[in-house]
Amino acid sequence: MIRRALAVASVAWLVLISLGALLAPLLSGTDPIQPVGPPLAAPSAGFGLGTDALGRDLLTRMLFGARFSLASGLLAASLAVGIGGVAGLAAAMHGGWIERAIVWAANAMLAIPGLLLALMLLTAMGPGVTTIVLAVGLGGAPGFARLARAAFLAARQSDFVRASHALGAGPRWVALRHVVPNAGTALLSLATTQFAWAFLGTTTLTFLGLAGNPSLPEWGAMLNEGRLHLIDAPHLALWPGAAITLTILSVQLLGNWITRRQAGADARRAAAQIGS
Amino acid sequence: MVSPSDRPAAGLLTAAGRRALDGLLTAWAAVSVTFFALRLAGGDPVASLLAQGLASSEQADALRHQLGLDLPLLQQYLRFLGGLLRGDLGRSLYTGQPVTRIIGQQIPYTAQLAAAGLFVALALGLVLGLLAAGEDRGRRFPLASGLAGIATALPVAFTGILAILAATRLGQVSVSDPATLRSLGLPALVLGFASAGAVARLMQAGMQETLAAPFMLAARARGLRRGPRLLWHALRPALPPVVSLIAIEAAFLFGGTVVTETVFSRPGLGRLLVGSILQGDFPVAQGLVVLSALVYTLSHVAADTLGLILDPRLRRTE
Amino acid sequence: MRLRLVPLALILAAATLAACTPAAPASGSLVYGLTLAPTGIDPHLNASSELGIPLSSVYDTLVFLDPGTGDFVPGLAERWTISPDGTQYTFTLRRDVRFHDGTRFDAQAVRANIDYTLNPDHHSQKAAFMLGPFDRVDVIDDFTLVLVLKEPYAPLLDSLSQVYLGMASPKALEAWGPVDYQFHQVGTGPYVFVEYVPNDHLTLRANADYAWAPSVYTRKAPAIETITFRFFTDTATRAPALESGAADIIGEVPPQDAERLAADGGFTILPVAIAGQPLQYLINTARPPTDDLDVRKALLIGVDRGRIVQTVFGTASPVAQGPLSANAMGFVAGAALPGYDPMEAARLLDAAGWPLDPVSRLRTRSGQSMELIVVVPPWGSNPEVAQLLEANWASLGVKVRLETVAGFGPLKEAQAAGEYNLIGVNLFGTDPDLLRPFFVTGGSYNWANARSAELDRLLLEGSQTTQDRSSRALLYVQAAELIRDQALVLPIRDYVNLVVANARVRDLHFSAQGWFPLLIDLQLAS
Repeated sequence: MIRRALAVASVAWLVLISLGALLAPLLSGTDPIQPVGPPLAAPSAGFGLGTDALGRDLLTRMLFGARFSLASGLLAASLAVGIGGVAGLAAAMHGGWIERAIVWAANAMLAIPGLLLALMLLTAMGPGVTTIVLAVGLGGAPGFARLARAAFLAARQSDFVRASHALGAGPRWVALRHVVPNAGTALLSLATTQFAWAFLGTTTLTFLGLAGNPSLPEWGAMLNEGRLHLIDAPHLALWPGAAITLTILSVQLLGNWITRRQAGADARRAAAQIGS
Repeated sequence: MVSPSDRPAAGLLTAAGRRALDGLLTAWAAVSVTFFALRLAGGDPVASLLAQGLASSEQADALRHQLGLDLPLLQQYLRFLGGLLRGDLGRSLYTGQPVTRIIGQQIPYTAQLAAAGLFVALALGLVLGLLAAGEDRGRRFPLASGLAGIATALPVAFTGILAILAATRLGQVSVSDPATLRSLGLPALVLGFASAGAVARLMQAGMQETLAAPFMLAARARGLRRGPRLLWHALRPALPPVVSLIAIEAAFLFGGTVVTETVFSRPGLGRLLVGSILQGDFPVAQGLVVLSALVYTLSHVAADTLGLILDPRLRRTE
Repeated sequence: MRLRLVPLALILAAATLAACTPAAPASGSLVYGLTLAPTGIDPHLNASSELGIPLSSVYDTLVFLDPGTGDFVPGLAERWTISPDGTQYTFTLRRDVRFHDGTRFDAQAVRANIDYTLNPDHHSQKAAFMLGPFDRVDVIDDFTLVLVLKEPYAPLLDSLSQVYLGMASPKALEAWGPVDYQFHQVGTGPYVFVEYVPNDHLTLRANADYAWAPSVYTRKAPAIETITFRFFTDTATRAPALESGAADIIGEVPPQDAERLAADGGFTILPVAIAGQPLQYLINTARPPTDDLDVRKALLIGVDRGRIVQTVFGTASPVAQGPLSANAMGFVAGAALPGYDPMEAARLLDAAGWPLDPVSRLRTRSGQSMELIVVVPPWGSNPEVAQLLEANWASLGVKVRLETVAGFGPLKEAQAAGEYNLIGVNLFGTDPDLLRPFFVTGGSYNWANARSAELDRLLLEGSQTTQDRSSRALLYVQAAELIRDQALVLPIRDYVNLVVANARVRDLHFSAQGWFPLLIDLQLAS
């Protein structure tokens, strides 16, 4: 019951920030880089969430920040899921030396902690938001590849697949028609976790000051700005920090909920098969 | 069921040996990937020095020759590996100091923080995990499990900031001489808290499984009452996954230490890494990557070996 | 008779004893916070002002600049003469000076220092340039030498009064070489260099044998035994460090934090005006759209500099009015810069052929919208200033891309690539000749790519006018007006360093350059 309520709350939060991100210009009316009032003003009727050190409206910056932060996280996660998914599928379907090579490569990449990998790329390519997205995406790919391979392998054992093979279907057809959809929900849950991880990754890197553009209203960067004024204006750090945390929490809860539902559905399906 | 091996000691050794070899190969692969990635994707570090007026063109050529940048890539790679085996990681592009020395000066700070953080993660995680495992039988809503969940969701940066805020409000100032152990307290707590969640989850899962196992019922039937001895019985099989989690968490700890050091402005490898990236001092950055790849692999091997010792069943999976 | 002699003798003995008693030995320790971690700290080779904070007490210079009078007073040189044509400076050195390693300071040492500085393989970033059109050193005898220049060079004495031309032990220079010497520095100053761990700490210890203090020092021997310098490069840590006692003195404290510390904590704020260039942005005349004078003028008046200074720096800093801070030596204020006028700025942009596109709300010409690239250094609140510049220009319809760089090296690298319309850079110094590398054709810091024969002439003449101070000052007023008319630079604020010290600290004085504390004068409250 409570789990259900939490899942609903998570969805609500995610919908809220997505709407905020999409409709930011309509909802705020000011430019996130323009000062509109006295610096470090407390939240009030005039400025809903207060103003930052340069007098810019925090509500506006949070809304536009939703855009940048969510977009970065999504892009990075898509990259990780895309590359990792394809690699995992190839490994699961082909087996043999291809699988061994992919697994070994993934393990090798995993020997480098994700953040370190990202920082390495940033060394090579210089700071910037595009580099951050690339770095987090590539960093998440090996881990996702391993998980995806496991999911595909499990799906491969399913009855549908065995039946298709028995009927003489070719591997690629089997892959597309059966393995992928069967692994689908497991992958969905993994993908949501991947998004949470990617979102954390991009906001951490911008927090460390690697975004290159100081006026970018991105939640991680805003959290870093808030550090300078913890004593006189803690709200500068609280809004972006809370927003980041709630987003990650929501995505995790949602992922858990999906897994549970799928597990329940699988169990019911298995019970039905046994019964029939 | 489990059948004991005829030569248990040899079984442990070969399994551990295999793990170590695997680890070494992985470390080598990681280091190589780093090398090629940096060389191929990065710019010419000597050109950077030229642009800053820190070297004339003759000096730049000499430096290029000294760094071996004028050699074919494969030869450079072999030189790099050779240097690695000798313990030579090159010199900083700016200060000219050996990278090993620069890193060595910062290691104690980070090592202290990481160790303290790991300790907090284990302690907190174990407690939370036990509580969560125990509660689930009685209550419907596992509070401890919820706390563990939140712990994993809170970014270290935010936890750190909240901690500083709380400390300041309570009259304690957070920044003090990083050389003292006292200043380690809050950062270690923040760092460990994030890992504690994952540890707790694993503990909880492992404990629940074990508590329901037949051998536990047998132990209770023999009269082993609820208490520390029962706990140890239940704990032991649940430990190996935790131990391997520690290895994974070592990776997380690395990222976590970078952020924690930034938030609390502590000296250490984190600050060195971010600084060297921003400055483009790539020998230092490369050295740090190599170091962390080695540490990471080592901790995996150690964790796996520990797991093998703790749970003989694992030795047979090879 | 005898009885009277005894008390007299006693009095004489007591008096002699009192005169011979050395001052109380140095004791106690202090932690001084540094705010930038320079990549190198050899003053002969590196350019950072930060390194001078500890090192100007490790070295003595030939002459010292008196902040009160603006005159040069004897240091390691007892007296000097300048030839009538301004190309020969003859120095007579003190004979009683010893380096911290025991070796003797003499004319050979001066020559060794100059050779080390001018050695092209050492790539001196600042000191070599401060010697100007240097020709050679003629050593007359052990304590007399002549510095010979190719042309008259007015700033020479000023250069010789700065830590970058401080006198190091030739034995140490020889033994360690240009790469390692920075970790083993040996001078003649009131403090001895003990050790330096980059980005961690630097330790100095009192020089018990120091006996040649110049008149600019109030005390003749150091009072504090150990001074440790720690790095607080992160702005957010400075106030907490002071509050927790991790440091006793830190500079560059953010204005709000400084005010809070002074109000509640019993700390003292010392605002120190730093001579030299203000916090400023050079405007690149070689790259569109800033190659157009009207565009540059529009950008200058399209910025509310007063509001920016107030938002970022509070009341601590005056708004800059020209290419030099108002507190520069001999600065004479010319006409002030035009004030904030967004309407006029818009009109100028329209007239320059950059009308506002009604749909995109951006300044557009033949399909291209105007974009400025601004390269922003990380120090001195430059990122905050740059963000406000972006906001001001955005409301004029100009798109701005901010690129922060991590340090001085990357800043130069970005500049060498040439892809910038504005770049933030400023040097500090007490002689107005520091404008010359910035605005003379081919100058090493001519990042605005100025090409004005008139400006070249004015600045060259200014560097060579050794005799008449007021006519020299007039040359720089004219140069400043030319720079303003050509809109080569956007000045923001006169640099004021907010130094905060806790209650333990007494007698914190700074040198004429502003950045460098006179560590010898520092005392601890008992």
